Amino acid sequence: MPTTDSSYDAVIVGASLAGCATAIQLGRAGHRVALVEKQPDPQAFKRTCSHFIQASGVPAIERLGLLEPIEAAGGQRPRVHAWSQWGWVEAPPEQAARGINLRREVLDPMVRSTAAATPGVDLMLGWSAERLLCENGSFAGVAVRNPDGKERELRARLTVGADGRDSRIAELSEVPVKTSPNARFAYGAYFEGAAPAHAPDASVWFLDPQWAAAFPTDTDLTFYAAMPTKERLPEFKRDPEGALVKFLADVPEAPPIREGRRVGPVLGKVDMTNRMRRPTAPGLALVGDAATAADPLFGVGCGWAFQSAEWLSDAVLPALAGEQPLDKGLDRYRRRHAKGLRGHTFFMHEYSKGRRFNPMERMMFAAAARDDKAATILDSYATRQIGPARMFPRALTRAISVNARHALAR
Amino acid sequence: MSAAVERRTLLAGGTRTRLVQAGPADATEAVVFVHGNPGSADDWERLAAAAGAAGRRAVAFDLPDFGETIAPDGFGHTPFGYAEFVAEALEELGIERAQLVLHDFGGPIGLIWAMGHPDALAGIVLIDTGVLPGYTWHTLARIWRTPVLGEIFQAITNRGGYRFALNRNEPRGLPREFVETMYDHYDRRTRRAVLKLYRATPDPGGMSENLIGLLAPRRIPALVIWGEHDAYLPASYAHEQERAFPGADVHVLATSGHWPFADAPETVERLLVEFLARVGATAPEPAG
Repeated sequence: MPTTDSSYDAVIVGASLAGCATAIQLGRAGHRVALVEKQPDPQAFKRTCSHFIQASGVPAIERLGLLEPIEAAGGQRPRVHAWSQWGWVEAPPEQAARGINLRREVLDPMVRSTAAATPGVDLMLGWSAERLLCENGSFAGVAVRNPDGKERELRARLTVGADGRDSRIAELSEVPVKTSPNARFAYGAYFEGAAPAHAPDASVWFLDPQWAAAFPTDTDLTFYAAMPTKERLPEFKRDPEGALVKFLADVPEAPPIREGRRVGPVLGKVDMTNRMRRPTAPGLALVGDAATAADPLFGVGCGWAFQSAEWLSDAVLPALAGEQPLDKGLDRYRRRHAKGLRGHTFFMHEYSKGRRFNPMERMMFAAAARDDKAATILDSYATRQIGPARMFPRALTRAISVNARHALAR
Repeated sequence: MSAAVERRTLLAGGTRTRLVQAGPADATEAVVFVHGNPGSADDWERLAAAAGAAGRRAVAFDLPDFGETIAPDGFGHTPFGYAEFVAEALEELGIERAQLVLHDFGGPIGLIWAMGHPDALAGIVLIDTGVLPGYTWHTLARIWRTPVLGEIFQAITNRGGYRFALNRNEPRGLPREFVETMYDHYDRRTRRAVLKLYRATPDPGGMSENLIGLLAPRRIPALVIWGEHDAYLPASYAHEQERAFPGADVHVLATSGHWPFADAPETVERLLVEFLARVGATAPEPAG
């Protein structure tokens, strides 16, 4: 028999980055939060992740007070060097945005323990969401169950789905979802030993259309990732490590992956279908990958988890304080989410088709490889500090003048 | 560039060809480079130097009517005629066992040589070539194969058009001097030879199953390098080579086209040198 033993201001399903970040914000504002996680292990962490956090997510992390602990734990603050056939695209050090590289194995437990220690937050490990509770046409919490078969009803004014790409909450709430195919797959692994050339900075290779990356991280490890198009899948399935090493070792200006030694398993993800869900329903919100599972190629997942958590808590705090109806807050969140991410995801998902660069992209990359200012504009966009509406006019005008000068100088 | 290669002429098959060589000149086992179309011994200078530096005897030569070499009267401009020339050149050079390095049309030529000398094939490096089951000719080859059209096409090809057409099909262009050398060698004689050679090869994939049947059981060490964006011989054939050479080390280079040794020279050199180290062969003579 289900028992309704608790009533919360918010119940959050999923105690990974987005869920914990939301719980910390709401808890600190004095609200009672149930944070439900189906993994019983407090040290659990997301394995199939490049762990790279784009610079756009850093202010939200700083606001949570997590930036210092992350750096203390060995987290790197890399800028990104992007190889293109025209050369390396590198914003000058003082202009470049800096992201974060810290293994999820360290990051996830850190964020989770911070959430658990936040007054008002009840962390419930080992409970999974069974169904959504409804009241007066609005979602009003979730029924959860533990492995012993015990069921509990957690009633709340706000229900939050922070349960990732394959969100159960999103599925149960039947919010509209848009999917687009991803022609690439991903394999990656941690290596110790020789560090890549730009370490501690990150290097990515736009091999047009193939893609590879080297992310130096804490404890002198480097995460190497390959995201090839699916024609390459058979060789990766046959020999994941061999294919990964070969792929990275054969790129131009290759990193020293063959001199390194693999630490931990080779991780693979074959289905990377892009999913964009409407992030709100009456009484309910989705954050992180549950709302937008974008192409992992651009490394936005972790950063956007923290950002969407921040947007949601800022938007609903007045409502939870009883100053306005919840619908209003959710509506504000939905608009903020769309404003922040929609433009980016449109162009990302277009690139997920596995196609080669179009003439506009060729122009912008060529210019960025030749010119610091063009590189800085592209860097601000790629690190998701500015959206396409601000990037394109600036990048294109700059590209035209840089490329024209380059052609004349030859 | 490379001081490490020696250039001389070689009398073989009734003609005088240009020879690029490196390493111990008297070894009976050698790395033998066979160029494609259009190509010449010059294609291999860097790789021959690298093989020589690795202690191997390396030889590369112009095929008749390519590079600066003139075919003798009555030469058969067919894959078999060229394979016969390779056999005569190796005999002249005293090479009994070979690690073949083949590119483009050098593939069919070298593989036909291998069919006739299976015991002499010690290893093989296939660069954008190999067995091509089911392959039908690329557009340019179809033009060359068409009587009159082919002749007109060859007659009107000029340096600018050649450079443009070549680079248009390459993912990041080819080094200027590489293209210029190729065009310098693309004289009237070579153009005629190309028409004859392609016209003598109606079915480029035709021999594949025979080759696979003959070569696969011999477990010949093989390295396959293919440019992912090869516009002439698609990279989907890279892994097909494992049928003829089980256990082949296959590398599809993500940013290369039809000439990986020109657009990714460091990578190709590294792969070749590592391959040669793996396949052993004659130990380098002890110094002194």
